Amino acid sequence: MNRLEIHDILFKVEKPARYLGNELNSVHKEVDESTVRFAFCFPDIYEIGMSHLGLQILYKLLNKQENVYCERVFAPALDMEQEMKENNIPLFGLESRNPIKAFDFIGFTLQYELSYTNLLNMLELADVPLYSKDRTKQHPLIIVGGPCAYNPEPIADFVDIVILGEAEEVILEIINAYKKRKSEESFSRRDFLIEIATIQGVYIPCLYDVDYNEDDTIKGINPNTEGIPKRVTKRIIKNLDDAFYPEEFIVPYINTVHDRIVLEIFRGCARGCRFCQAGIIYRPVREKGFDRLKGLTEKLLENTGYEEISLASLSTSDYSKLDMLVRHLIDEYKGDRVGISLPSLRLDNITLQLIEEIQKIRKTGLTFAPEAGSQRLRDVINKGLTEEDLQSAVKKAFSLGWTSIKLYFMIGLPTEIYEDLEGIGQLAFKVLDAYYSTDKEKRGKAINITVSASTFVPKPFTPFQWEPQDSLEAIHQKQRFLVENIKNKKITFNYHDAKTSFLEAVFARGDRRLSRVLAQGLKAGCKFDGWMEHFDFDRWMQVFEECKIDPTFYANRRRDYDEVLPWDHIDVGVTKKYLIKENEKARSGEVTVDCRSSCSGCGVNKGIVGGIC
Amino acid sequence: MYKLRSRFSKNGDIIFISHLDVMRVFERALRRANIPISYTKGFNPHPIMAFATALGLGVSSDAEYIDIQLDEKIELYDFIKQLNNALPKGLTIIESSYISSKEESLMSVIKRSVYLVNFKLKDAVSKEDIINELNKFKNLEDIPLEKEKKKKGKRKEKTIQIVNIRPNIYGIEVFSLEERNAIIKMDLAAGSVANLKPEIVISKINEHTRLDIELDTIRIHRIKLFKEVNGSFVTPLEELKTL
Repeated sequence: MNRLEIHDILFKVEKPARYLGNELNSVHKEVDESTVRFAFCFPDIYEIGMSHLGLQILYKLLNKQENVYCERVFAPALDMEQEMKENNIPLFGLESRNPIKAFDFIGFTLQYELSYTNLLNMLELADVPLYSKDRTKQHPLIIVGGPCAYNPEPIADFVDIVILGEAEEVILEIINAYKKRKSEESFSRRDFLIEIATIQGVYIPCLYDVDYNEDDTIKGINPNTEGIPKRVTKRIIKNLDDAFYPEEFIVPYINTVHDRIVLEIFRGCARGCRFCQAGIIYRPVREKGFDRLKGLTEKLLENTGYEEISLASLSTSDYSKLDMLVRHLIDEYKGDRVGISLPSLRLDNITLQLIEEIQKIRKTGLTFAPEAGSQRLRDVINKGLTEEDLQSAVKKAFSLGWTSIKLYFMIGLPTEIYEDLEGIGQLAFKVLDAYYSTDKEKRGKAINITVSASTFVPKPFTPFQWEPQDSLEAIHQKQRFLVENIKNKKITFNYHDAKTSFLEAVFARGDRRLSRVLAQGLKAGCKFDGWMEHFDFDRWMQVFEECKIDPTFYANRRRDYDEVLPWDHIDVGVTKKYLIKENEKARSGEVTVDCRSSCSGCGVNKGIVGGIC
Repeated sequence: MYKLRSRFSKNGDIIFISHLDVMRVFERALRRANIPISYTKGFNPHPIMAFATALGLGVSSDAEYIDIQLDEKIELYDFIKQLNNALPKGLTIIESSYISSKEESLMSVIKRSVYLVNFKLKDAVSKEDIINELNKFKNLEDIPLEKEKKKKGKRKEKTIQIVNIRPNIYGIEVFSLEERNAIIKMDLAAGSVANLKPEIVISKINEHTRLDIELDTIRIHRIKLFKEVNGSFVTPLEELKTL
C-alpha cells in the first residue's frame, strides 16, 4: 500500500509533528498479506493520547507479535481535519500513512464519555460505516476498551467487540482467533464474533437484546444467540511481574500532557472511596515487585533519555515498598538529574521526608484531594482522612519551603448541604493560617493556594450508581456560593464547567438508546466536547430534543435498587449486594476500612481471583 | 569544563518540529548517548547548551549550530558518532570542535544567513525576466514592512510600526529556474541585532515586482550561517580563539 502524501499539508497545519509517526521507539514494519493490522485510536488530539499509558503498553505488546502491526491514530485537530477533507485524505495510521479503512481492527480506548463523538467522527473520517450492522467482511472490526467500556451501552450500536478489564492477555487471544479465521474463504464476521464471545473479558453487544418497560427503565438484557453467556466477566492480569510491560516508550517530539516515563507500580486500590469508579473496577490490588521495577526503570531510562519518571497507581503512597523504591531511584539516578514524581499521594500517610529528598533533584508542587469540605461528608464518601491529617501535612510542607498547594474538592456529592460547602472555604483558610503560623525563617515567600471544585458525576459500579446528579441550577448556585465564600488574594478558586459534567453523567449511566443521540450529535457537528472552546451545550440540548430523549432521565434521576441497570449484565467482580451495603453505609455516614486492614467482602475474591486477594 | 561547538543539519520530516522541540530532542539524545553533559544548577536542572538561532517550523538547514558544555572531555569522533546514533533521522551532527570558554555565545555573534528559497510562479517566466525583476527589487531604497508591536505593560494594546527591511538584505540572486519552479538564493541579516525572514522577503518580492508567486509553495532551506570577525563574514566554526 502506498503512503498517503501529506507533506504539503504539513506546511499548513499547526503542530505538524503530531502527524509524523516516526518518533523515537515508534515501530515500522513490513506488511504482507498475512499481517494483522491494528489501528490503536485515541479519540482526542496527539498531546492527550500520547500521555496515555495503556497506549504505550498495548502498542509495544502488539508489535512484539509476529505478523501483527499496530499503529497509532489520534483525532486530527480541526485544521488538519479540514485539510484532510479538502485533499481527500482518509484517516490513516501515523506509522505507515495507510488508510485505516483497510486495517483488520480499529481499536479505541475509552477514557472519557465526552470523547464518544470524536470516536464517531474518526470512523467517519476513516470512511468506515458508523453502525456495526452496516459493516461487512471488507470493513475493519471495531474494538473498544478502557474504563468507559465497563458501561459501553451508549456506543453499543457502533462497536463490534468490547474488552472488559485489562487487555494484555485477552487482546492476543482475540487476534490469534482472528489470525486462524482471516484467510478462510467462508470468513463471517458474525461467526467470528460468536466464537470469541465466550472468551472471558469479551463482550459482543450485538449478541444481546435489551427490552424496556413502559416507564423507560430496562426490563431485561439477554443474549439473542445460543451459547452466549448471560453475564460477561472482566479480565485481570493475575501476576503483574509476569505481565508484559514496555521497556521503551515512544518519545514524542512535541510537548505532551505527561511527557515522562510512567512506571506502573500497582493496579487496583484498597481504599474504597464511594464516588470512585476506578477504585472498584480495577480491583483487586496487585503490586509489582521491587526487582521488576528496578529492572524496568533502568531499561526505560536508557531507551528514552527521559529526565523524569512518574510512579503511577491509583494511590501511590499505598505501595508497600515505596520508601525503598524511591530511595533506590534517588541513589541510582541523582547524578543523571532524573526527577521523580509521585502523583496520587494521600495526605494521611504522606511521606514528606521522601518528597523532601525528591525535591533536591527537581522541584514540584503539592496536591491534596480532601474531596469534601466537612468530616461528615468525607465519611459519607469514605475518604478516610481528617482535618488534622491535612493540617499536619501542610504545616510540615510549609516549614520545608513549599509555597504552592493545590486542594481538590467535589461538589454535588450525595447528602451534601451548604455547611459542607462552607467547610471547603474554611479548610482553605486553615491551610493559609498554617502558612502564616510557620516560622518566617523557614517558610517560603508568596504563598498560593489553589482550590478546585469539580462536579460530582455518579458512575456505574460505584456505591453511588443509583444516586441523582445535582441539577444544573443547584450546581450553579453552589458554585456562586463558593466564589463568594472563598475571596482571598492568596487563594485561587477554580470550578469545573457543570454542563460538561451533566453530559458526562448522561453518557456514563446511559443505555443503548443514546447511540441515536450520539449519531445525531455527530451530524449536528458535536466533537471535541471535552474542550471548552468546542463544547456547545445548547446544540446538545437540541440534539436530545430532536431524538425525543430526556437527558435528565439519565443524569438526575434516583434509581431503585431493584431497577435493572444498563450495565447489569457486566460483572466486574464486585457484587451489587456490596455496592448497596456501601450506599446504605454512606447514608448513615459510616466508614469502611481499607481492605488490606480487613476484608469488607466486595466479592472480587470469589469470582475473579479465587481465594484471598 | 569543556565547550563543544557543532554544526548540524535539519532535513526531511524533522523540519516539522519547532525550535523548542529540537532543544528537547537534543537533551534526551545526549542522555541516551551517555555524553557527559554539564547541568545547570537549581530546581530544574537542564543540560548547558545553546543554539545559534531558532529555525522556523518547516525550514530545513545544513547550517545549524549548537554549543554544548561537557564535564569530561571526550574524543570528537566519539561525540559525533554517539550523538548521531541517538539523534532522530534528519538531525545530523556534521562537524564539531572544542572551543575556548572565552568564545562569545553563538547567539550574540550571528550576523547573516544564506537561504535557498524554492517556490512556484503562477506563470512561466524567462530567466532574464526574473533577473530583471529581482534587480528592480534590489534597487528599491525603501521596502516598508508593517510590524505589530505590543505596548509595554499593556497586553492587548498594539501599535503598528513601519520598518525598512532593505538594509537587512545583502543579496538576492536566481539559483535556478525551470518553467514555473524557481529557486532564489538570499543573503539576509540574522541574529539578535537584526533578523529578516526569507518568507517576508518573498512576500515583498511578490508585492513589489511583476513576479506572481504561489505563496503556499514556498520551501526554505538554510545553507550558511555567518558571524562577523574584523569586517569579514565567516562561519561560527572559523576564526576561533585559541584554546
